[in-house]
Amino acid sequence: MSFREKSAWISFVCLLMFGGLYAWHSFRGEIFRARGIGPMVFVFGTMAALVALEIALHVAIAIQSPKEARTPKDERERLIDLRASRVAFYALFVGTLLSIAIGMHLPGANRFLMANCMMGSIIAALMVRFGTQIVLYRRDA
Amino acid sequence: MAHKTLHNDIRRLRFEHKEMTQQELADSIGVTRQTVNAIELGKYSPSLEIAFKIAEVFRVPLDQVFHYR
Repeated sequence: MSFREKSAWISFVCLLMFGGLYAWHSFRGEIFRARGIGPMVFVFGTMAALVALEIALHVAIAIQSPKEARTPKDERERLIDLRASRVAFYALFVGTLLSIAIGMHLPGANRFLMANCMMGSIIAALMVRFGTQIVLYRRDA
Repeated sequence: MAHKTLHNDIRRLRFEHKEMTQQELADSIGVTRQTVNAIELGKYSPSLEIAFKIAEVFRVPLDQVFHYR
């Protein structure tokens, strides 16, 4: 497996963990609130922890294959990035429209639900981006 | 009209050049080994610049490396 593919896997799994924890907090927040952990503290705390984890894992794979890590992306890898970003754009577009529709038309919806839906859309779009990269790297392998 | 695709002789040319590895070819043209593998297998069509670089490494004209048939 190439360095870039490993990097995409790390980002995908970290985002999956963050998305899962975020969704859990959004729907089962009473567990955290009972322990005095506010929503903003939770979100930024989790984000910081996962960014640290992602950096640590990237450093680990860079140590494993230092030459590949130092090499800039070549034309195929840049093309894979562009294709994945294009697919992710459509995921974000659909997610944003759904968030607006939920915020405006779902009975009992409020701005917090809409904000959560938008955050979910961003996480989902990023996961689609890294997921597409993994698929394209696998397909060429 | 018959459907044409891009083919290449990179694998054969590598072996004719002292069994050059994919990594050695990749290093000499400035791409990753995975990209050389994808080109060899016909899963990725390289840019003209990379195609010319490959031909230059093997010291042959471009049409001896890539064929459109």
